[in-house]
Amino acid sequence: MDSIALKAAYLDFLRRHGHAPKTVFAFADAQGISEAEFYQHFASFAVLDRESWADFGRQAREKAAAEPVYQGYGSREKLLAFYYTLLEILKQNRSFAILTLGRSQRRQFAIVPTVLRLFEREFDHFVEELLRDGRVSGEVASRPILQEAYGRIFRRQLQFILLFFVRDESANFERTDAAVEKAVTLSFDLVGRNTLDSALDFGRFLLHKRM
Amino acid sequence: MDQPLESLPTSKVARAARFAKTGFKVGANYVQHYAKRAVGADSTTADLHQANAEELYGALSEMKGSVLKVAQMLAMEKNILPPAYAEQFRQAQYQTPPLSGPLVVKAFRDAFGRSPGELFDEFDPVARQAASIGQVHWAQLDGQALAVKVQYPGVAASIRSDIALVKPVALRVLGLKEETLRPYLAEVEARLVEETDYALELRRGQEVAEKCAHLPHLQFARYYPARSSARVLTMDWLPGQHLKEFMATEPSQEIRNQLGQALWDFYQFQLRELRQLHADPHPGNFLFSPEGGGTVGVLDFGCVKDVPATEQQQFLALLAPETLADPARLETLLAEAGVLRPTDAPTLRALYLRTLRQSLELIGRPFREATFDFGDPTYLQSLYALGDNLLQDDELRQQREPRGSAHFVYLNRTYVGLFSLLTDLGAVVRTEWRQVAV
Repeated sequence: MDSIALKAAYLDFLRRHGHAPKTVFAFADAQGISEAEFYQHFASFAVLDRESWADFGRQAREKAAAEPVYQGYGSREKLLAFYYTLLEILKQNRSFAILTLGRSQRRQFAIVPTVLRLFEREFDHFVEELLRDGRVSGEVASRPILQEAYGRIFRRQLQFILLFFVRDESANFERTDAAVEKAVTLSFDLVGRNTLDSALDFGRFLLHKRM
Repeated sequence: MDQPLESLPTSKVARAARFAKTGFKVGANYVQHYAKRAVGADSTTADLHQANAEELYGALSEMKGSVLKVAQMLAMEKNILPPAYAEQFRQAQYQTPPLSGPLVVKAFRDAFGRSPGELFDEFDPVARQAASIGQVHWAQLDGQALAVKVQYPGVAASIRSDIALVKPVALRVLGLKEETLRPYLAEVEARLVEETDYALELRRGQEVAEKCAHLPHLQFARYYPARSSARVLTMDWLPGQHLKEFMATEPSQEIRNQLGQALWDFYQFQLRELRQLHADPHPGNFLFSPEGGGTVGVLDFGCVKDVPATEQQQFLALLAPETLADPARLETLLAEAGVLRPTDAPTLRALYLRTLRQSLELIGRPFREATFDFGDPTYLQSLYALGDNLLQDDELRQQREPRGSAHFVYLNRTYVGLFSLLTDLGAVVRTEWRQVAV
């Protein structure tokens, strides 16, 4: 049994039972393989969880990019397309999402759940690329010191959206769609050229005028 | 218990500016459109909740009689609404910037399992127009230009909670009892919820188009059920322009008369024969073209009001010339309609009768004459003046109870909207009721 099939079986188990398998042995046995064979692919269920999340991220990016309109999108739209596609995937795997992220979280994650670590690393690269493209096209303002912090902001946004989804009780999770739309729009409004840049620009000009 | 009416713009300039021919916003809810302050922000997207909420409170605090309501809505003063409400509602509003391209794609995938590029030959991802709770895209299929309306996510869910938010405020500040308020809120909520179901709008659009096919100079869109769902609506892209642009082309009086006639006949037919009203007659819902001497395209069947037979009879009876001539008859009718109550003190009764008779004379005038010139500036002036007088009347302002049937909320809104359209067209209309051969 290869790792892809194992992952699929694991997610299927979670969906059906609403909880993780009791032991690696029990799970491997149910798949007709030995415990040792399981460990050839994954060290633990926690690793499976991390990898599944990372898979979702990759699938979302690939699927979004497959839409013909994607090439014409700016950075803002690409990020939106990523989120909407991700949410479609998460709808199919809601039990997994809730189990691994925990619905009981009342506020923002204090510490990032380790289960998202791999997912987030790849997400960071994705966002970095988007922002770089954005700077080239002019969609994103170039702010030498400030922009180092952008990665953090978009990561926070990701966590917000995932948490929102987990707690969402609206029909078809429409409210999460609305949250994504508004959050991403706002963040791109902020990183785009705006009043602050114009003010700074004008300020600089006035300073130089003296010379 | 009474809220002091704080200073809000009431200058005649502000009021007149509201009715200025410039300043119509395509697709904006007409209530908001008419209530827009001269110095207020332009809204690029309709805020149906705010507009409907204001209208609701307008109805509640000023429901002194359906015809009176008509006059007040024409004057459309926001200070009728206690400022506290306006604030409360502002917090409950649904802010709606345009849907992003990816969100539109997602809406299609949710509804049809396919993206718009697969459903149409061409699809413009940038919306061409705002709709009241969504936006309209241009598309093309087999050479036919189509209008595709896409709804904002989460609107349906927020209606109930917005109304729930506002209800305790209404009860407390108005000092009303729950039983009194409930039917009005229920009416408004029912209509708003219906508006979020595009599948319903499609069926209604088809029905009304079929039943009104014989009326001259009207054009209805064909709907496409295979490309429509609860949140996506596909129909023909009708030719013509919205009112403001159309009037800028300086159409002749004959064309404007024909357009006005088509609209008037359409509504008369709906009220008298169908008992079903296209209840949101604001400029965004119609397209005007000089085709065939003047043709009106009818859009947006999101708000269709079924009028129960009783209310229809009462409404028509109130508008009849005999009623105005005979004070006793008017009194009886108003008592039947629940506007006058046996428990009213004689002075209060007299007050209502007096003001209602005044309004009825003015607003019912088009119904009593054989032909009416809606472009008559003196008529418009009288309507404004009436509105002013009613607002200034202290005794009236004290009355806060809603009166009359809850159904009248939308009946009134329909006629206010219709009159405003006709006055903007400046049309001379044959208003006498005559049945057009089917």
